[in-house]
Amino acid sequence: MRRALRVVGGLFIVVVALWAGIRSYAQRSSQRLHTASIEASAGAAGAPLASDAAAPQDLGYVNGSRIPEKLPVFTLGDVAGKATSIAAWQGKSLVLNFWATWCAPCQREIPLLLALHREWAARNVEVIGIAVDNPGKVRSFAHQFNITYPLLVGDQDAMDVITSLGVQSPAFPFTVFTDRRGEVVALFMGELHKPQANLILDQVQQLNQDHTGLAAARRAIADGLSALSMHHSG
Amino acid sequence: MNSPRRYAIRTALCLAALLTLAQIAAAKPWWMRGVESNGNDFLAPDVAFRVSAWADADNMHLRWVIAEGYYLYRHRIEVQAESPDLIVSAPVLPRGQMRADPYFGTQEVYFQQLEASAAYSRSDAGAHPLQIKVIYQGCALAGLCYPPITKVIFPSNPPPIAEPPRHAWEGVAILGGGAAFLLAGWLLRKGRELEIPRL
Repeated sequence: MRRALRVVGGLFIVVVALWAGIRSYAQRSSQRLHTASIEASAGAAGAPLASDAAAPQDLGYVNGSRIPEKLPVFTLGDVAGKATSIAAWQGKSLVLNFWATWCAPCQREIPLLLALHREWAARNVEVIGIAVDNPGKVRSFAHQFNITYPLLVGDQDAMDVITSLGVQSPAFPFTVFTDRRGEVVALFMGELHKPQANLILDQVQQLNQDHTGLAAARRAIADGLSALSMHHSG
Repeated sequence: MNSPRRYAIRTALCLAALLTLAQIAAAKPWWMRGVESNGNDFLAPDVAFRVSAWADADNMHLRWVIAEGYYLYRHRIEVQAESPDLIVSAPVLPRGQMRADPYFGTQEVYFQQLEASAAYSRSDAGAHPLQIKVIYQGCALAGLCYPPITKVIFPSNPPPIAEPPRHAWEGVAILGGGAAFLLAGWLLRKGRELEIPRL
């Protein structure tokens, strides 16, 4: 009798523990912006992503929205107001950095973006800043910070580009990495640091040289960023 | 059979099992691991900054509950009248914490919770429901800023029930407490012997 009671008690604790853990996790994950990096889609590189019915828990989705495999083509004005299509950089790997002049972490990122622009230009990587802000402010800001990489400026149209990538609540800074074919390799929400940028760009280079596939590159980036994050927090 | 040593070993094993269970409960379920793995998740703006408002005869009272690791800028907070014939004065904000930023200089910010009030007057004799627009902007300490958030609010008459900020270890604490209670009950039961009165 006592043994039976103990077994029942133990099972009850296990059930409560599992229920609390699942409920707590589900609640927290529903509250997250959840962009960060994209994981590999199940299956081979280039294979179509899973059906919409499986979206919320499947790989390759952000908050239930499907992340496009290719960067959508969009047109925004440059700092002089001239309409410029992202297709102008076709054939290059892109680092698209969405930012705003009022955003402190965006400002902290600028020296890193300038360095990436310098160091990766020879490997066919282009850094492009996309300011969601007033063009006048962006011009004076670019001058003040000696920004040498190309800048595009937008308002709701730039926000629409972010949401088209599966991000429901845009925030800054937000960085998109693509390979030379325009495949979206990684999305990064928040302030980017050099080890993270180099990790992602190394995978972009692997993709460009056909040494890896998109799914494997995304998986390697997610694992690498996770390891960096653990190293940082540890 | 029930030597003290055996008893101690059993207790230690139970505690170890409970600790493991608590960790499992706090961690991501195994079937969802790998979906978001770089630890770079941020809260949605409406979860990071939860605003509510209520009104008495003369003042609107606003409360922001700010998630841990997030903050609101004092100078980016605005309250505007939305309903007709309503006039709302500038909100009275408490002193915040001074936060140094290498680019923007020292900024006054709020962590955890902010309570503010704004005097109001209306000349529609209550014909329209009170409606205000609240604008605020904030960031995460981990390096992310949200665009200004605009909310249209109907201030309630009685104050809303305060909701404490959610902490990451909340689930573990609840689970650990419950499990400890069960364990204590089990251990107490084990040592108890009923005395049956003899007639």
